[in-house]
Amino acid sequence: MNMKVSQIAGFLGSGKTTALMKIGEGLVKRGCKIAIVVNDVGEISIDSKYVEANGLEAREIAGGCICCQIAGSFAETLAKLHDGFDPEIVIVEPSGVAIPWGLKRAAEYSEAKSDMVIEHAPVITLVDATRIDMLLKAVRRLVETQIREADVCFVNKVDAATPESIAKTEELIKTINPRAEIAHLSSVTGEGLEMVTDIIMNKVSPRYDDAVEEEMLRKEYGRRDE
Amino acid sequence: MNHLERAMAALTDGEADRLPAYPIACGVNRKLLGDDVTYAKWCSDPKLFADAFVAGQKYFDFDFAIGLMDLSVMAGDLGAHVRMDDENTPFVDKHIVHDIEDYEKMEVPDIKTGRSNVLIEGTRLFTEKLKDEVICAAFLEGPLLALTQVAGAERVFMDMFTNPSAVHAGLETMMEFDVQMVEALSKTGVAGLVWDYLWANYSCLGDKEYDEFEGCDKYAGKLNKLVVDSGIANCIHNCADLPHLDTQVKKFKPAIYSMAYYPLIPDSPSAGEVIENGYADNCLMAGNIDPQFFIRASTEKISKVTSDLCQEVKTALCKRGLNSRYCISSGCEVPPDRVTKLENIKAVVDVTKEDGKLGDC
Repeated sequence: MNMKVSQIAGFLGSGKTTALMKIGEGLVKRGCKIAIVVNDVGEISIDSKYVEANGLEAREIAGGCICCQIAGSFAETLAKLHDGFDPEIVIVEPSGVAIPWGLKRAAEYSEAKSDMVIEHAPVITLVDATRIDMLLKAVRRLVETQIREADVCFVNKVDAATPESIAKTEELIKTINPRAEIAHLSSVTGEGLEMVTDIIMNKVSPRYDDAVEEEMLRKEYGRRDE
Repeated sequence: MNHLERAMAALTDGEADRLPAYPIACGVNRKLLGDDVTYAKWCSDPKLFADAFVAGQKYFDFDFAIGLMDLSVMAGDLGAHVRMDDENTPFVDKHIVHDIEDYEKMEVPDIKTGRSNVLIEGTRLFTEKLKDEVICAAFLEGPLLALTQVAGAERVFMDMFTNPSAVHAGLETMMEFDVQMVEALSKTGVAGLVWDYLWANYSCLGDKEYDEFEGCDKYAGKLNKLVVDSGIANCIHNCADLPHLDTQVKKFKPAIYSMAYYPLIPDSPSAGEVIENGYADNCLMAGNIDPQFFIRASTEKISKVTSDLCQEVKTALCKRGLNSRYCISSGCEVPPDRVTKLENIKAVVDVTKEDGKLGDC
């Protein structure tokens, strides 16, 4: 049985939790059975009314540490969700210091705990256009890491940002990750929400295992060529 | 060579019979004590903590013993709530810093109580039993790691920019806590102390920020010196993806540096590159088998990975003119999970015994 994991990354205050709840609603309306795993230091709580109204399951994972120690509890959370609720899609709001590849690896680790195969939706990173200057000054490296590892970057809060900030944010994304798809998102006006839902439902991103194998082969052949 | 002779040779780049092996197997050793020893029991009882290390040494035949419990020991004793599942690494699920003022309200707990005491007494007990067989070391969270555990990493990183004085106030408390722990742990009979200085990581902090909030003389510099002045070896573990090697290896000058490898992260250094770039010239480097291979890989696969790593390391040591300064290890702790394969830990040690043999280049 496959379970798809969708990461929606972004630094604290980037509008992740609000967007994630809207995306969750959108997926439920399209008939998907979903679960949500949020960072325990997220911007807002996923309350029981939201969970009940949308017929989904919500769990918390520890925020903060990027190291391997947190992988076990995340894997356990996914395995329990699969065994108890069996969602088609799990939307994950990682901590702003989590590495997207690391989270993919941890998700695949849950396969050892339950009879399932994990597939990944494209990694989505939200970049807050209203605070881009401040974020670059305060946590530049973290923001760069999340953009670098994204499949799709959404310039978020476009309803509140100036055209200059939006353009600057887009330019930053292009510079750091030229292969990433770029789009706009607003949880207030709904712009981009359909697109996010489409991406999560219909597209996939490489598995960590496969990507590592490919990279190792590339290095091996590189060595042979030398 | 026995374990002590081999480890001492590697520490001094002397001639050794083979590369030393130490997958960082700590909490997982409790599985050797029986199914009823849950993680919660193991990390709350000094005797169980020590018995697991002794059992692990007997079963796996390691070259070192390092007393890692988990990264929420200090945070829990400071008052943060720690979620303690039976079969997973505990973690903080309720931080205690909610406002800027909270950084200054934290107080160093009594280290003779709580899990700090379990760590100190447990380290004393396993060191008493193993010190004649292997080099034993204590393990402790560095001040910035401890602060991010108790306050939340995202908050701390943002506060470094918006309220740096509050972060420094929090770090002062972590420093006082760490100083007390070093003083206690250095009296347990250990030969070294391993710091977890996780945030020296270019994915998160640049040199300037790391220096201000941990790398400077006021923080890590003082702690490193305290360890050495206490008569034991200063060692560092950092499982981050892009570690600050120049600061942590060349400036801090640890006796041992343990690190991970992330093949998909551009510029994450492999074992060969680390040796080639001189980091093993004066320090025993250790790494870098993916910890999740201990759960997910077949024994054949992890044996092949270990064999390949031994070959990569031996080739790089020869090229660099070094003898033995690399320990085959896991890049981070072997997951203390119910599904971790003990046979894979054994395979890493056993393959290193054969394929890690050293001879003429």
